[in-house]
Amino acid sequence: MIDPIFQSGNYQLARKLLDGAVLRQEAIASNIANSETPGYRRMDITGDFASELRARVATMGASATSLADLQPHLAEDPHARTVRPDGNSVEVENELLEMNRNTMEYNFMADVVSYNIKQLRVAITGRTTA
Amino acid sequence: MNLITGIDVTSSALNAQRTRLDIVAQNIANAQTTRSVDGRPYQRKVVTFETELLRQSGAVRGSAAPTAVRVASIQTDNTPGQKVYDPQNPDAAADGTVTMPNVNLAYEMVDLITATRAYEANLSVAKNARQIAMKTLEIGK
Repeated sequence: MIDPIFQSGNYQLARKLLDGAVLRQEAIASNIANSETPGYRRMDITGDFASELRARVATMGASATSLADLQPHLAEDPHARTVRPDGNSVEVENELLEMNRNTMEYNFMADVVSYNIKQLRVAITGRTTA
Repeated sequence: MNLITGIDVTSSALNAQRTRLDIVAQNIANAQTTRSVDGRPYQRKVVTFETELLRQSGAVRGSAAPTAVRVASIQTDNTPGQKVYDPQNPDAAADGTVTMPNVNLAYEMVDLITATRAYEANLSVAKNARQIAMKTLEIGK
């Protein structure tokens, strides 16, 4: 009976994107921590996470089964340009902006998940107050 | 997995930057020290950083893991210090000159500012990670 709520496309998508946002926060933490380490190359989530997610939603729709084995991964960012003579490619300003954007994204996705759970509560109790 | 994501990476960076601040403080404090423990003028110290792999990444090839940072070494800058003519100084050589430490206050101040800013950037990462963790705990409320 409660399946349809947790099977909702938005809920499943938000779950995957939350995973991605958490991993990206780790990547940004690592980038800023190593902003002065010689030779460090900035890392980010691999680009194929977004494209693969888009492809799967387009062909199979967003459901628990279609997204089950899709996991975000970290890799060195091949497009980052070197900004220091020692080969480091971290631009702290960009990382901080990216971190803020990522946090907003995380908050939004967490709200989407919350909203789905709250809907279920309303269905069970018939009341909107928690 | 940590509840507060990446906090171990951030704390390692805060530690490393604080060490750097300590060394800058030591350099500035000893800018006029003509006789250090070994009897020679103080030589300025330089901190170098290196990455440290916290954990192996998963089985997926080509995927990287977040890396922490640690102080690789504290090296001595061996450039010779300035010679100042001061025959009254007890540390003066036979020709009346005193070798001063090779500390350049301008370099040290730049290093001080850079380290402070890097420290602040890492603090804001910690703040953000905490905010994300709080939001996670509020899911469903």
